[in-house]
Amino acid sequence: MKGLPARAAALILALGVGGLLAASSGLMPIKASSGHWAPTEWFLRFSMRRSIFTHSLLIKAPAGLDDPALALKGARHFESACRSCHGAPGLPPSPVARGMLPPPPELKARVEGRRPRELFSVVKHGIKLTGMPAWPVPGRDDEVWAMVAFLRLLPELDEAGYRRLARPGASPPPFPAPAAQACARCHGADGSDLGSGAFPRLAGQPAEYLRGALEAYRDGRRHSGIMESAAAGLSAEAVRELAEYFSGLPVVPGVPPKERDAQAIERGGRIARRGIPARKVPVCAACHGLETKRSKDAYPALAGQPAAYLVLQLELFKEGRRGGSAHAHLMEPVAEKLTPGEMRDAALFYESLYLRKPDPPDPQGIDTTEGRL
Amino acid sequence: MGLSSRTSPRVPAPIACAAWLSGCAGPQSALDPAGRGAERLAELFWWMAGGAAVVWLAVAALAVYAVRGGARRAGGGAQRALIVWGGAVVPTLVLGALLAYGLSILPGLLASAPPGALRISVTGEQWWWRVRYESPGEAVELANEIRLPAGEPVEFTLRSADVLHSFWIPSLGGKMDMFPGRETRLLLEPTRPGRLRGVCAEYCGESHALMAFDVVVLEKPEFARWLAAQRRPAAVPAGGAAARGGELFGANGCAACHTVRGTGADGVVGPDLTHAGGRLSIAAGTLPPGRAGFGRWLAKTHEVKPGALMPHFGMLPPEDLTALAAYLEALR
Repeated sequence: MKGLPARAAALILALGVGGLLAASSGLMPIKASSGHWAPTEWFLRFSMRRSIFTHSLLIKAPAGLDDPALALKGARHFESACRSCHGAPGLPPSPVARGMLPPPPELKARVEGRRPRELFSVVKHGIKLTGMPAWPVPGRDDEVWAMVAFLRLLPELDEAGYRRLARPGASPPPFPAPAAQACARCHGADGSDLGSGAFPRLAGQPAEYLRGALEAYRDGRRHSGIMESAAAGLSAEAVRELAEYFSGLPVVPGVPPKERDAQAIERGGRIARRGIPARKVPVCAACHGLETKRSKDAYPALAGQPAAYLVLQLELFKEGRRGGSAHAHLMEPVAEKLTPGEMRDAALFYESLYLRKPDPPDPQGIDTTEGRL
Repeated sequence: MGLSSRTSPRVPAPIACAAWLSGCAGPQSALDPAGRGAERLAELFWWMAGGAAVVWLAVAALAVYAVRGGARRAGGGAQRALIVWGGAVVPTLVLGALLAYGLSILPGLLASAPPGALRISVTGEQWWWRVRYESPGEAVELANEIRLPAGEPVEFTLRSADVLHSFWIPSLGGKMDMFPGRETRLLLEPTRPGRLRGVCAEYCGESHALMAFDVVVLEKPEFARWLAAQRRPAAVPAGGAAARGGELFGANGCAACHTVRGTGADGVVGPDLTHAGGRLSIAAGTLPPGRAGFGRWLAKTHEVKPGALMPHFGMLPPEDLTALAAYLEALR
């Protein structure tokens, strides 16, 4: 009996050396074309399912996952970033993707019955040794949840439903840069965000601000898995053309906001015009103006922007996760002092403003008196 | 200070001492009083220092006496008397007298100002001073600088906008804490004209040491002229870099936080800048006045004052920064 441990040790050593020899011989296939041996495949899938379950245990889904605007955001990004591998209802995946091992699954059946936290974990972290990438930036869980919101709708979607959600109609006017087609999928060919409330409106935004935002996304200074992918590789020329194109679009009167809380809008108006001096919140309008007047072209016009977008930006500023152009840091000490309720009030106020063609910037300052409205 | 090291042994000791003590003079010294309160406090200090010296000499003499065996020669009764008198009676008398004297000073320091006196409210904010001349006449707000008429009692109302601060002009009087949500009062009466310095005397965050203010005591007519000038709106520069700086001030949104009376700028988050160019320092006693100081403050705000609420404007082109600095300098 004394020899048993010694024999076991010798066996383990022999197996290890044997494995190393086998690997270094190069005889083992890593070919995607040859597929997995069935027991290997079963084992890999089993451990993947268990890992997703365990690693998502502590993730808590946020409220408002059923918001249609959130799913819309996820759907439009799915169309540009995910569909080529996974396909979509009525749209088969790219033949290139079919050659991958494991082949990217069609998701309809795969997401059915999955918990939101499990979907979140996979979309955010990706899956090792498959083609599934992690979300491009770490700090934007809100975007990952937008994708989860869309994936939850996926099992119910037919081809027409998917097209409605993810692929709005073709864009009629000729675009200056081919990249603008991709912009139009979310922001609308007319730069109006199509009234969805899910995307910022670009029409009439100062070109300098749009240029700064695109450059910041492209260079990784403004953080977004969606927009960094969209802006990656844009040439300086393309950035300039896109900024001027969307800036020059006529501003259509804003779609009336879905939510119209008159009291909140009034509170928000006070913040915009007078700030909250006791807590050192400055006057929004001194830089962003009211209606369409701004003090400077590097500052965005906020009038008519969807409230959800404005609140999200303020939250990202507050947590130091937004980034942006060289002017972006100006907003951090402001957002830090706003409560969630005040963010919502100010956002609802700006959303409620009538949208029209912006005036040129007025360095003489902004008239913040009540009479203007 | 350098004087003492150069003093040779041949210089008589009192002269050497005087030279050394000259380090106690200056714009921020409780031992060089320029106000009623500080005079009383300095008196108290000298009495206490003198008393302490006498007590120390007596104790030292007793120690020498004991070491030389004097206690053994003295009888048991003398020992008991020494303990009772030296250990209880004399200290009680000395400390009691000092306490009575100290307390007798207090009412004068806490008295309220006579009617019609100058009233100034000061709010400590991380890390600067909001100064408001409440009366006589129409109220006027400025920042980080206090000018006072010589020979007049002035009542300060002290507040804090955020954390504990303490308002202290050592040459004029004692310090007084500033509490969020509460008012404290302090009466000061400068006795002679001169330039002094005040500081925050309660640790209030990372840039506590960069929270000072200038104090200038003026003759009465000169003070009246100065206050009248502070009440006037800003002198808006008509041309050149300063005028362009004024446009940039509006375009960059500085008015969201700052007031420049007479222009559209009416923000109340930060210091009033109406006469910023005429002040004796920039950023609460942190930088010397002038264009270079303003330029450095705008571009390197957090190098100058870590943690300051104001965001830096280092992203602006240098010519814009120069123009803004010229504008601020022109606001006299």
